Amino acid sequence: MNPAGREKRLLQIGRKVVETSTADETEVLLSEGREFLTRFSRNRIHQNVGTEEVWAVVRLVKGKRVGVAAASSLAAEALETAVASALAIAEASEPDTKWPGLPKPRPVEAVEVYDAETAEASADARADFAAEIVAAATKKRAEAAGIVETAESSLAIVSSAGVAVASSSTHAEANTVVTCGDGSGYAEGLGTRLASLSGRRIGRRAALEASISRNPRPLDAGRYDVVLEPAAVGEWLQFLAYTALSGKDFEDGSSPLSGRLGEKVTGEQVTILDNALDRRTIPQGFDYEGMPKKRLSLIDRGVAKAVGTNHYRARRLGKRTSTGSALPASSSAECLPLHLFLKGGTSSARQLVGEMKRGLLITRFHYTNILDPMKTVLTGMTRDGTFLVENGRVVHPVRNLRYTENVLEALGRIDGMSRKLTLVAGPCVVPTVRIKGVQFTGTTEF
Amino acid sequence: MKALLERAVELMTQAGAAYGDIRVREDRRENLAVKNGRPEHIAKGESAGFGVRVIMDGAWGFFGTHRLEESAVEHVVNEAVAIARASARLLDEPVVLAPVDPTVNRYETPHEKPPFEIPLEEKIEVLVSASKAMKGANVKLAQAFFAAYETHQHFASTEGARIEQHIVQTGGGIAATAIRDGDLQVRSYPNSFRGNFATGGYEYVEAMELVDEAPRVAEEAEALLAAPLCPEGRRTVILDGGQLALQVHESCGHPIELDRVLGMEIAYAGDSFLTLDKLGSFRYGSEKVNIVADATCSGGLGTFGYDDEGVPAQRTPIVEAGRFVGYLSSRETAPAIGRTSSGAMRASGWNRIPLIRMTNVNLLPGDAGTLDDLLADTDAGLLMLTNKSWSIDNKRLNFQFGTEMCREIKGGRLGQVYRNATYTGITPQFWGSCDAVCGHEAWQLWGTPNCGKGQPGQTARVGHGVAPARFRNVQVGVKA
Repeated sequence: MNPAGREKRLLQIGRKVVETSTADETEVLLSEGREFLTRFSRNRIHQNVGTEEVWAVVRLVKGKRVGVAAASSLAAEALETAVASALAIAEASEPDTKWPGLPKPRPVEAVEVYDAETAEASADARADFAAEIVAAATKKRAEAAGIVETAESSLAIVSSAGVAVASSSTHAEANTVVTCGDGSGYAEGLGTRLASLSGRRIGRRAALEASISRNPRPLDAGRYDVVLEPAAVGEWLQFLAYTALSGKDFEDGSSPLSGRLGEKVTGEQVTILDNALDRRTIPQGFDYEGMPKKRLSLIDRGVAKAVGTNHYRARRLGKRTSTGSALPASSSAECLPLHLFLKGGTSSARQLVGEMKRGLLITRFHYTNILDPMKTVLTGMTRDGTFLVENGRVVHPVRNLRYTENVLEALGRIDGMSRKLTLVAGPCVVPTVRIKGVQFTGTTEF
Repeated sequence: MKALLERAVELMTQAGAAYGDIRVREDRRENLAVKNGRPEHIAKGESAGFGVRVIMDGAWGFFGTHRLEESAVEHVVNEAVAIARASARLLDEPVVLAPVDPTVNRYETPHEKPPFEIPLEEKIEVLVSASKAMKGANVKLAQAFFAAYETHQHFASTEGARIEQHIVQTGGGIAATAIRDGDLQVRSYPNSFRGNFATGGYEYVEAMELVDEAPRVAEEAEALLAAPLCPEGRRTVILDGGQLALQVHESCGHPIELDRVLGMEIAYAGDSFLTLDKLGSFRYGSEKVNIVADATCSGGLGTFGYDDEGVPAQRTPIVEAGRFVGYLSSRETAPAIGRTSSGAMRASGWNRIPLIRMTNVNLLPGDAGTLDDLLADTDAGLLMLTNKSWSIDNKRLNFQFGTEMCREIKGGRLGQVYRNATYTGITPQFWGSCDAVCGHEAWQLWGTPNCGKGQPGQTARVGHGVAPARFRNVQVGVKA
């Protein structure tokens, strides 16, 4: 695989589409890549897939009317069809008098996120990685399920406003749920290099957690102090971004931060950033309009500072440039910060548990959903390891619980965070956190 | 196309595959969204390619490509074979498929008005009119939606099946969002999250009469802003069709997926409380509860001719008079229960493997008449209308749903409107508390167009036929 050559080819195709388009403005997003995912359960591989895909999204503007069309081919005829479809949509639409034009090019930072070894990882390599996880589970007489995924792709964005950017990336991810009788544990790893992940480490961590979470005891719903491990923190952070940090919702008035920038919206200990350039996340140099990614302060010491925007929303909100948060034009969601960080504290995860008088240690959440978007009220279940802590010690596992909680308020009750930050799915880079008085509203049978 | 299919089958056979299939698939979609009287997001998409699935050395491998050309077939088959051989490195028992008679046939969704042939301007005009008809002092977002999906698929297997299908799915809806003083209330029609969907043509959306319904929807959104919070307590609850459809989806549809039961999804969406030992004996619900998985019912969003393993569409009993009797299954999983496949394997595109997906998981009509009849028969309770939020644990036991609107029932009549109503329960206890299901006259198919499952992720469009039903002693709201 030659990512530089592929980027060049995608840029050439993009330039041709732009040059031949009859629209007032034209933007084309082109992607090409391969993705492989090995899935295992009950200590055996049961699904194993690979795909090679291309993707083209054309956004055209004619008389301030916008049309978008997507195709799964880079062939000239397919792109001509996409252009014609987008043009037909634009012509059937109404002029948007506030259309600001496509964004002008701005310098983007090059990020090194392509690992040739990961790009070329074989099915055998993924099977061997899965076998390492399984071996760790079977040592505990447990069963492992999970994934090993590798992917590589190139992305190019070209527009009639002069944007012409391209980059290539690799992605590696593995996770497992290990079950041991009625106990279960979870561990994950992700990054840009498969070699940076260890199947043995992931397997051992989940297997240990599974073995100590056997025979969970019922616990009444109620308010409990909690220590949330990074996977649980990351899930809340993603839902917070989804409900509160989109420039589109902000302008619509349907974000809890609408009209509240500059106001204190949560506790002073809460600082949330979007930073796709930080090497601790899965870096990305530009967004899906080809605009530069940058460090964006979203909530600073509890005060709402910004929401993620694309060029259109930025202009409507009175800003000259976007925050680099554009999604592909085919997405009706428009814009969202995608590389979240929660600033950590000074403790270790062990200290956070050790200082807790009575509460719960929670591995992760399941099926979180939004109950009240304006108040950031979420509900969801715990899973794969929920433990009662008394006088600083884990005393026994407990059955899973349902929480119903205002997340901005809950984050305001954080009374300790780990110094160490962990990259979890999202991607989010987050500490382990301890929160006072989280509301649990239901129980289940396991 | 035929040459590509036959070449793939030939190569899979030559490679020594115990089984192999190829799906060549072309998808089209159109999404229209209008907000506050003007088009906000209008997009079309096309996707075409093929995927090959093989069993080699007793294990599965799959590879898919966008390169819809005969010259790509050998490469794709070789990749699938190499992946299958790698799977065999971590295998206990070889995959065994339940038998199916190889079919040569064609199926097409019955439809009157192909949705992609209706001029864009005409579709947009309806949505703009509906959006403009949703008026209110606090209605900040008046949205109208339309979506259409079309799939042409050719399936061929090494066993001799050759099946062509043309599936057409259409839907739409409206939503009014009222916002005031930090509160946000949404009212939708005919269902939340962009409306209702079915297999069929544009005639399905025309029958919704979106413009006529729009003023009521806006009024109800306004009314919700002024309504009190729904009080907490144990109550009798009647669920309307839209909410009940999602209740069936989450608490019955997913736990009867046999791949979940066998642990194949445990690391992602979870497994199921409906373990194999419960088949045939477990009391899932009251005697009023009868559920089938029916891929043959006319107009259902999960209606088709054959699944993506070439198994004919079927009507499978799931719950009979409250007793759990059947699963949704595949050729690989069905032998675990000593049966043949229930024909539920579907993929979201050429680039994904088929998984066990809901077809139309339907709660059969009861004998409680119309919704008005059921309300009149209810002394005290709550009517919950239209889903707003959903969550359920990873074995599908503890659930919590929120609805857009709630109405007090007193002496058989509707009264006070409440906002932010939720209810929660444990699946078999909840269905065990069902003491009335409305009849044929109130039974309707609902489409769930956004059912997520699998890794890599897949979104399926599935259906649920239900009539409103009553449940006793349900926990409403949360105990603070």
